[in-house]
Amino acid sequence: MYDVVIIGSGASGGAVAYTLCKTGYKVAVLEKGRLIRRDEFSKDELAYCRRDLVTPNLFDEYHTIEEKVDGKWVATPTYESGWSFWNGNIVGGSSNLMSGMLHRLHPDDFRLKSKYGEIEGANVVDWPISYEDLEPYYDLTEELVGVSGHYEKHQYEPPRSRAQFTQPPTKENAVVKLLDKSCQKLGIKSLVTPRAVLSRDKGDRNACYYSNFCGSYGCSSGAKSSSREALIKPALATGNLTLLTNTHVKYLHSESKDAVKYAMAVDTVTGKERRIEGKMFVVAAQAHESSRLLLNSANKYHPHGLANTSGEVGKNLIFSGGGSGQGELHKDSLKDIKFEDLMTTGLFVNRSILDWYFVDDWWDGKFKGGSVEFMFEHQNVITRARKNNYKEGKLLWGKELGEHVVKRMTEQKSIRFEIFNDWLPNDDCFVSLDPTHKDKYGMPVGKLRVEGHPQDVKVGKYIAKKCEKILEEMGAKNIYSSVSSAPPQNLVAGGCRFGNDPKTSVLNKYCQAHDVPNLFVADASFMPTGGSVAYTWTIYANAFRVADHIVSVLRTVA
Amino acid sequence: MIKRRHFLILGSILGLSPYVYAKTDDSFERAFKKIEPTLKAVQAHMFPQGSKLPSADAMHVTQFVYETMQHPSFDRDIKAFVIEGAEEFMQRTKGKFLSMTTAEKEKALRAYEETNYGSSWLERIMTLTMEGMFSDPIYGANIKEAGWKSIDSYGGFPRPSTKYMGR
Ligand SMILES: Cc1cc2nc3c(=O)[nH]c(=O)nc-3n(C[C@H](O)[C@H](O)[C@H](O)COP(=O)(O)OP(=O)(O)OC[C@H]3O[C@@H](n4cnc5c(N)ncnc54)[C@H](O)[C@@H]3O)c2cc1C
Ligand code: SF4
Repeated sequence: MYDVVIIGSGASGGAVAYTLCKTGYKVAVLEKGRLIRRDEFSKDELAYCRRDLVTPNLFDEYHTIEEKVDGKWVATPTYESGWSFWNGNIVGGSSNLMSGMLHRLHPDDFRLKSKYGEIEGANVVDWPISYEDLEPYYDLTEELVGVSGHYEKHQYEPPRSRAQFTQPPTKENAVVKLLDKSCQKLGIKSLVTPRAVLSRDKGDRNACYYSNFCGSYGCSSGAKSSSREALIKPALATGNLTLLTNTHVKYLHSESKDAVKYAMAVDTVTGKERRIEGKMFVVAAQAHESSRLLLNSANKYHPHGLANTSGEVGKNLIFSGGGSGQGELHKDSLKDIKFEDLMTTGLFVNRSILDWYFVDDWWDGKFKGGSVEFMFEHQNVITRARKNNYKEGKLLWGKELGEHVVKRMTEQKSIRFEIFNDWLPNDDCFVSLDPTHKDKYGMPVGKLRVEGHPQDVKVGKYIAKKCEKILEEMGAKNIYSSVSSAPPQNLVAGGCRFGNDPKTSVLNKYCQAHDVPNLFVADASFMPTGGSVAYTWTIYANAFRVADHIVSVLRTVA
Repeated sequence: MIKRRHFLILGSILGLSPYVYAKTDDSFERAFKKIEPTLKAVQAHMFPQGSKLPSADAMHVTQFVYETMQHPSFDRDIKAFVIEGAEEFMQRTKGKFLSMTTAEKEKALRAYEETNYGSSWLERIMTLTMEGMFSDPIYGANIKEAGWKSIDSYGGFPRPSTKYMGR
């Protein structure tokens, strides 16, 4: 029997495994995906970005996505829509594939309700912990997992215990000169993006070599601060970790009301089932799948699903609100920088804007805003060559296509912004079990209702307008932005809220199930509100915090 | 959200080809062989010689389409659609597409594009052809990186050493 059994080897599972193994506990990590080693990763666009090779085949395993069509809820299986909600199912999870733009939450994100009051149609609540509780773990993540950056004082930068990042920022494309200058002119402060990418060697991990293909790809130098590189590898080195790959957990089995006994796992290659017993269980399967796993673990002791006496499991799922926009920098009208420098590949744009994190606008009023990241359009060659080849609504082909594509690819580069604002938790965004659809292991698939709150789109649009101005000032052409309530499937949280009241929350403030003391949920499921930044720094930090608590519980048991 | 597959399948006049349900793969092979000359000619029309992009003929893009659709990671509905859309087009052009002049071919393809079904088939063929031309040379249709060179845009390092991650 293991001391602790962890389901999922991604950002959250890795942080828990690392802490426990370093402390000397025997841990099993059950990961449904296979191990891809650092030296096996390549920049194969077809394999990584255009086929399901690091995620399950959608005909085998999928979700159903419920959207409102003409006033009615319609659930579409993702094998039908092609809209996959898998984000990376290999050792290290989606953290292998992230772009790594990381931010800490702001102290007010922990008390949104106290700060901004009720919002109609939104289930906003304060967190049971404060920024101060999490700060040491943000710091630990920065140092241990590896976040490079440069701190500059800004009214909405959260306070930090360490004066400066130990890893300096990654190298930057010359376009930042133009971007910074344009922001300055508009009275906007551009900040260096903290990035889960090493700019200098760290132990056996090599510094970033600016491969030009970061997001959606695994890293071949170890620079990207994935769970696999930063946490699972050192955890394995302790000798305390048993990493079981190709091991999909179907459900958690309990034989009483207050304890999980074993994880029922299936070998994804042989189809053989096996029970894996532990003293403690930590679910870290990424928010939407963690809720599904708890719901699929229902039995006579837990008729509505494991840890679900509150009926809250799966509820208040959130994504990252916002949207994105883009503009083209053309060779013949480029200002301030050389075109060759703009076209240099690999270097990051590395700029974020926090000026609109909280908005107090004479016209639009006072509201919680969001953050912005600037980046180049993803450099995937097939995707870029294929897009926008139309004339008067008709597909271009022949010599005209040749002219068009070559010009676009060689005489301009697109710069992009992404907006992150709160996805207000609401009654129409949740995970349940689909009543008819089952995966290839015979378990009900997760049904995701993914409705956003109108306020999210309003905020996104407010910020998009500001960002379009920046692109205009930079001299970009064909600027557009798109803000909608469509969820970004890779930035997901909620579903198992933490809180002090067992009637309204699933987990206590240590992310331990109120109902089942030997069960923890360590991924972003706990978040009652999401803040206005991408989640992963918070996921790492909170999982380290949860792990410390598990250690203290194991010590008392011993 | 576009209901991609509904559209793909219900849009087809011929309905689902029997090989979709067949256990062995040689029925796909047979179906593909029948549409291959037409597919090849459509790709050649889209990517002719003398363009700034390499020509379809020089880049083995038809073979690429065949191989990539055979791989288990390929979406089985799209696989069916590629065949059915070609069959449909062959019917519309009464099997004469291959012997048409360039101007006639253009007319026939644009007429097909007028239908929703035809336009999504042509989009799919364009996507598949570009996937071949601009993917890693290991897949066989970006010969000597001619696709990448033509647009001065290259895949990153490390390059793959096996197709489809060896799966
Ligand atoms: C392309 C991309 C870009 C991104 N960019 C950013 C970014 O710039 N900034 C940012 O903050 N975040 C980013 N993210 C998001 C980030 O990767 C995730 O927030 C983070 O990895 C989530 O951690 P997790 O532990 O919850 O899940 P994951 O890291 O996804 O790990 C979950 C693991 O659990 C496994 N698992 C699931 N179910 C089971 C089961 N039943 N049995 C066994 N194993 C199971 C999965 O296979 C997976 O390996 C990005 C994600 C993607 C895909
Ligand atoms: S080398 Fe740098 S840019 Fe490339 S994947 Fe690794 S961290 Fe990202």
